[in-house]
Amino acid sequence: NEELWVQSVLEMPKRRDILAIVLIVLPWTLLITVWHQSTIAPLLAVHKDDGGDSQRDLAAGLDSKEYCLSERDIVEVVRTEYVYTRPPPWSDTLPTIHVVTPTYSRPVQKAELTRLANTLLHVPNLHWILVEDAQRRTPLITRLLRDTGLNYTHLNVETPRNYKLRGDMRDPRIPRGTMQRNLALRWLRETFNKNNSQPGIVYFADDDNTYSLELFEEMRSTRKVSVWPVAFVGGLRYEAPKVNAAGKVYGWKTVFDPHRPFAIDMAGFAVNLRLILQRSQAYFKLRGVKGGYQESSLLRELVTLSDLEPKAANCTKILVWHTRTEKPVLVNEGKKGFTDPNVEI
Amino acid sequence: YVYSRPPPWSDTLPTIFVITPTYTRPVQKAELTRLANTFLHVQNLHWVVVEDSPRRTNLVSNLLEKAGLNFTHLNVETPKSLKLGLSWIPSHTPRGTLQRNLGLHWLRDSFSNSAPPEGVVYFADDDNTYSLELFEEMRYTRRVSVWPVAFVGGLRYESPKVSPAGKVVGWKTVFDPNRPFAIDMAGFAISIKLILEKPHASFKLEGVKGGYQETSLLKDLVTMDGLEPKAANCTKVLVWHTRTERPTLVNEGKRGFTDPRVEV
Repeated sequence: NEELWVQSVLEMPKRRDILAIVLIVLPWTLLITVWHQSTIAPLLAVHKDDGGDSQRDLAAGLDSKEYCLSERDIVEVVRTEYVYTRPPPWSDTLPTIHVVTPTYSRPVQKAELTRLANTLLHVPNLHWILVEDAQRRTPLITRLLRDTGLNYTHLNVETPRNYKLRGDMRDPRIPRGTMQRNLALRWLRETFNKNNSQPGIVYFADDDNTYSLELFEEMRSTRKVSVWPVAFVGGLRYEAPKVNAAGKVYGWKTVFDPHRPFAIDMAGFAVNLRLILQRSQAYFKLRGVKGGYQESSLLRELVTLSDLEPKAANCTKILVWHTRTEKPVLVNEGKKGFTDPNVEI
Repeated sequence: YVYSRPPPWSDTLPTIFVITPTYTRPVQKAELTRLANTFLHVQNLHWVVVEDSPRRTNLVSNLLEKAGLNFTHLNVETPKSLKLGLSWIPSHTPRGTLQRNLGLHWLRDSFSNSAPPEGVVYFADDDNTYSLELFEEMRYTRRVSVWPVAFVGGLRYESPKVSPAGKVVGWKTVFDPNRPFAIDMAGFAISIKLILEKPHASFKLEGVKGGYQETSLLKDLVTMDGLEPKAANCTKVLVWHTRTERPTLVNEGKRGFTDPRVEV
């Protein structure tokens, strides 16, 4: 526009007027040119390379969009800034994943929870519900949770000891972790109002398993109960739900008791929070549960087989592994203990 | 704002080169997955993964590509004779030795002694557990830094003995505390500069007594009084020598029950 205006003006014959006009227009064109270059050029220079190059150069995190520029365009500059925070910033639109982890004191406990936390710290909108099998919440867990920076709730309930047996034997008829998972379910029901729909998903994650980051994104879209394969359970490389061509679960690919109502491991399903709140009496059965039926004892009160939502590419990918950690050999501690008991491991 | 994983690279922070030997077995992918999940929090980390195999496998290649970490993928196969070991010889080649040495070799090939990068080398086995704090402790190592390790030597932890002056004067271990370096592989880090200055320092391949592998490398790099104690003068445990159980696959039977094309 300036060009056109200047042109028509320059056709006017008076020299004094021409000089005056040039002296007015020139500084403005210079000013606009300089401003234009200073905002666009730096963004074009810092370009994040997204190629398949493994030696990825992570330059200072600015991305830019390139435009074909002519002086007449009004350019909108969008700056995407890559930030790393631990955990990622909370989002208003993502459903919250409530991860319920029962845990108990033993030498590898801190190690297990440390590496689990390192995984959870990548997942946005995650709320960790850690339930100790203990009379009181321990300082070790209290400190660990606080130091991670995660969104968390710290609960505890002690599985009663079986006084008939000697030593520190818990009641063997109550599967480990049951009372702790049930306490978390009760906490959720007391904390969230079923009418106030804060979207959430509930997942039971034991502290010694291994979870991929992809798994959490798969479960986030659960409407009722979603399911997927789990590695290293049932004496197999993995167990998986059977999914038909229509994408519906119709059975279980297991060797051990495939006719259970839900022949699936604790780590192989997630439940929509709304369903937990609606079926407020659904809990894991405490006693009289046959081996392998604990998951069924909860799920049969929540959902039917045909309602299950298969995830992980229709249950063909492994995104979670039922790893177990060896008990460390502490033979050299001897009777009185060699290491300083005040040093926490 | 877009969440970035790993954290953006910094031009001023020393690089941590983590050398991890690995080998194919059922839990391999799980181990590397949770290890990657930890490393993805550490700024300026370069993961050197060395497979014990004749060729780089698809499983590891794909995992490394997807993870988003800065990495180098190498491989060298431990010859079967060394793997099996001859039972009548009291020494053996500990697992991972050739792979760690290849990692050192790659570093010496990639960087020149005349302009060494700021950084450290750390040997991280794929089944241990590492806190995030550990990496910040090792980042500013000048020569060789050391710290306690849990679940080694039949103890809750082994640790260097540190004098009130802050110098390492011995080793708090039950098993052979008089070794020159009675420390686990996960208990020390070496500055790149030192690795490049001493190009012949490597882990000894054969004739190494149990527990002496670390010594076989460190003796050519540093003396005890040159060690830098970390982790609050070696009073905190920031790394655990965890081991993963072998999964029972008894129900696979003779012909295999699960689909072998599904990667575990």
